[in-house]
Amino acid sequence: MVTEEEIERVSKLMKIDVNDHKEFVDKVQTMINYFDILDSAGAESEDISMQEISISNLREDKYIPFNGKLIEKLNNYKGTYVRAPKMS
Amino acid sequence: MNLKISALEFVQEVQIGNISAEDFVAKTLEKIQSVDDNLHAFLSVNEKAIDQARDVDKKIKSGVKVGACFGMPISIKDNICIKDSKITCASKVLENFIAPYDATVITKLKQQDAIFIGKVNLDEFAMGLTTEFSAFGPSRNPWNPEYVPGGSSGGSAVSVSAFECVASLGSDTGGSVRNPASFCSVVGYKPTYGLISRYGLISYANSIEQIGPLTRTVKDTAFMLNLISGLDSNDNTTIDNKNEDYLSEIDSGIEGKKIGIIKEMVGEGIDPAVLSATKDAISKLESLGATCEEISLDMVKYSVAAYYTITATEAGSNLARYDNLRYGYDFPVEGYEFNSYIAKARQKFGPEVTRRIIIGGFVPSAGHAGKYFLKALKVKNKLTQEVNEAFKKFDLLLAPTVPILPFKLGEKIDDPVSLFLVDINTITANLTGKPAISVPFSVSNGLPIGMQLFADSMHDKLLLQAAHALEGTVTLPEAPI
Repeated sequence: MVTEEEIERVSKLMKIDVNDHKEFVDKVQTMINYFDILDSAGAESEDISMQEISISNLREDKYIPFNGKLIEKLNNYKGTYVRAPKMS
Repeated sequence: MNLKISALEFVQEVQIGNISAEDFVAKTLEKIQSVDDNLHAFLSVNEKAIDQARDVDKKIKSGVKVGACFGMPISIKDNICIKDSKITCASKVLENFIAPYDATVITKLKQQDAIFIGKVNLDEFAMGLTTEFSAFGPSRNPWNPEYVPGGSSGGSAVSVSAFECVASLGSDTGGSVRNPASFCSVVGYKPTYGLISRYGLISYANSIEQIGPLTRTVKDTAFMLNLISGLDSNDNTTIDNKNEDYLSEIDSGIEGKKIGIIKEMVGEGIDPAVLSATKDAISKLESLGATCEEISLDMVKYSVAAYYTITATEAGSNLARYDNLRYGYDFPVEGYEFNSYIAKARQKFGPEVTRRIIIGGFVPSAGHAGKYFLKALKVKNKLTQEVNEAFKKFDLLLAPTVPILPFKLGEKIDDPVSLFLVDINTITANLTGKPAISVPFSVSNGLPIGMQLFADSMHDKLLLQAAHALEGTVTLPEAPI
């Protein structure tokens, strides 16, 4: 059962303000109820396969200069620094 | 000027001098001007397109080597980066964001002298299947503007169907190329996972999504695939296709091929007209020498739940970067604490994206991960095994692209589960990484029906040959535009 408190907790975790937590309870609950179908898939004993790429197959870890000043694409910057709000 | 020609016809006509790229592009822009107020395929139009086409014509006249596209106007889904152009993802969050670099597919097409005629509409961050979740308003189906064009690459499909470009690039996470292709009667292709670089595609669910072409013909799709596929050092998931030529031998036919008809995709909930079209497709494939037989893929009925669990989780992570500090809109930082600023700024996400971000925080979180996320990954694995087994017996699989006909704007927008189920026939290709294509096959009551073929991974060439054969069995009307 999805609760208002849970929506509040998750929205805080995902860093997104939600005006009406109550509104999301129903929407999320409807979707979660549907996801319960996964319980009857009989896949509990399955492995979870992941694609693995060895480090030797990754591109070289080196600095590639960017042609142009990326910082100037930002709305809030000062010199070469991103301008951010104060940390509490 | 006939704007209804295929990409290959366009290339040929420009090459031999029957038409100029400049005239064609100019007429295409006129077409956009005349129909797009109603259809709303485009979010922005390239104002330099005519100049760029003129440059291609000059190259042709002066005998300089010209790229394979010869100035062909292509539309690009607005989640693929073109350097120094706006890229909005149909979101208010990125409304004025300018891409600082080209996606690999764009670099490749620029090298081939393609003209990017404009950026086209999508559901916000590609989350949706109707384009109704675009922050800038929905696109409309050229076959009947009261109906949805499908999505999320709705703008791509509309622009090809309504002759506002010759071809388009979209992205397909759960059917987002094939679904609108089916609803608008164009060809839509989801390649083998890794065949086309995702570098410069704004990520939604990167473990399963792929860029794919939307075109008028299967041959055009093969042509586009030749230009944009292959290894890319900027995307470690790309695979080496050894410069495969997908266009050569496309007329090989399907005689002797075994085709499995996926039982779970033609069962409960299918529209009678779609079922009838599917039976017709089977009989036409058999008349071409293929053998068709039913196959059951039991995991298909769990695929929608697995898909939405996995994609919401990946979306929650991928969209965390939109903090309005590195990307974003004009919203001063003064007076805010760090976390509260980000949370406030992210309120600009639309309702569907917000919903998926919340779900994406919920399903992998402590106490829920075992029940939802891990189970979804296991279903994905089991489905892949089932499909791999199927390809030991069959060369290809067949199902209608979408089990229902296009529906009216607003009809399903408030019922997320009913909307999700529209994806049931397309999701399997994404969860398993297999290639799949939607081919225009029928029209019922003025609304298109697409037929979908799947092949095993890296059998894209075989898939295109089969799709070309199926395409040749029908003659369909054009969009009444």
